[in-house]
Amino acid sequence: MRENVAVVSRAVILAVILALAGCTSSPNPVPASEPSNASRLTGVWVAVGTFDDPAGPAPWQNTPWPSNPPFTEWGAERSRWLGDIKNVVPCQPGGPIFAMQDIGIFPIEILEAGDRIVIKPENSALPRRIFTDGRGHPADLEPSWMGHSIGRWEGDVLVVDTIGTTGRTRGMNGVGSNARVSRDDSNPRLPTSDQLHLVERIRLVADGEILEDEMTMTDPKAYTAPIVVKHYFQRRPDIEVFEYVCNERPRNSTDVVETLGGEP
Amino acid sequence: MRCVITALALMVIAVPAAAHHSFAEFDRTKRLTMTGVVREVQWNNPHTWIQVLVTDDKGRKTEWGFECGSPNMMTRTGWKRTTLKTGDRVVVVGNPLKNGRTNALLVTITLPDGRVLGPGDAPPPKPLKKG
Repeated sequence: MRENVAVVSRAVILAVILALAGCTSSPNPVPASEPSNASRLTGVWVAVGTFDDPAGPAPWQNTPWPSNPPFTEWGAERSRWLGDIKNVVPCQPGGPIFAMQDIGIFPIEILEAGDRIVIKPENSALPRRIFTDGRGHPADLEPSWMGHSIGRWEGDVLVVDTIGTTGRTRGMNGVGSNARVSRDDSNPRLPTSDQLHLVERIRLVADGEILEDEMTMTDPKAYTAPIVVKHYFQRRPDIEVFEYVCNERPRNSTDVVETLGGEP
Repeated sequence: MRCVITALALMVIAVPAAAHHSFAEFDRTKRLTMTGVVREVQWNNPHTWIQVLVTDDKGRKTEWGFECGSPNMMTRTGWKRTTLKTGDRVVVVGNPLKNGRTNALLVTITLPDGRVLGPGDAPPPKPLKKG
């Protein structure tokens, strides 16, 4: 009896191995257009800017946020609303732009996983998922904080298309958004709405040591023209992404220090 | 314990420690220098805080909180979670809150072994090459 069980077990194991072998010989699900260096995006990246120098060193310098953005009436009002500290919601999640525009405080981690690319910013509990299997955006898209992202390769450039954000995220810049837009942080806040359409062209430069993310933000509810910026990240294999629990301590919740004075 | 709190109206100090939120609430034209004993290090995102018990000339104890950068930034600039421990005697320089509460933005801290660390301002990236 025991021998029979052993034989059956071996047969099952053998069947599983054969099945797995069959899987590996099946057609590669990764699109043929994917370049050979695709997996090089995987890793930890830190934005090049610093507080002293938000643009970062030449030649790969972040584009400053516009000081006179092409607001719609709604956009201008929303910008004023975001600029009032009373309206800042502690621990409000950021959106996909928030995730990609830091100035060296929190790294991002990119993981390539076959049919998708996952970007985990340290400053956000929420990851970005970019589907690269050829699917489109769903017709009945459920709004989400990070939106729905699909990506395709154009040569060595990963083109990411994102829609479906909630419109409730923080502004792209300024208080509560992680960006310091000028030395005195006085530029208008840049809101986004649920009509945000973000197109990114992501590529590696400088022998793969620098990641360039050209972001074109079209949001007809907030702006009369697209806003285009380029942000740069430096590959940092020496750094790990830390955990980030925004409400771990009330004083550390986003911006709460302004209203509570940072009680311990 | 001797405590010297000196408010210096200095030239505009270079930069804030971090930018998860605005630092407008801190008066960056002032620097306070205090000697005290570490009560607690709150090593967590988005900002580390160092709580220091400061005793004035009359023996009154006041707890000050010093806001730093993120643990990740601090790690990149020489800090470890264990760099400071409760009871360590330190000299701290900070930009105080404008509203008078006993919190400040850390400028520098002198550790018991004499090392001076900052709030975690990220160092400039390594030289970038065109390629």
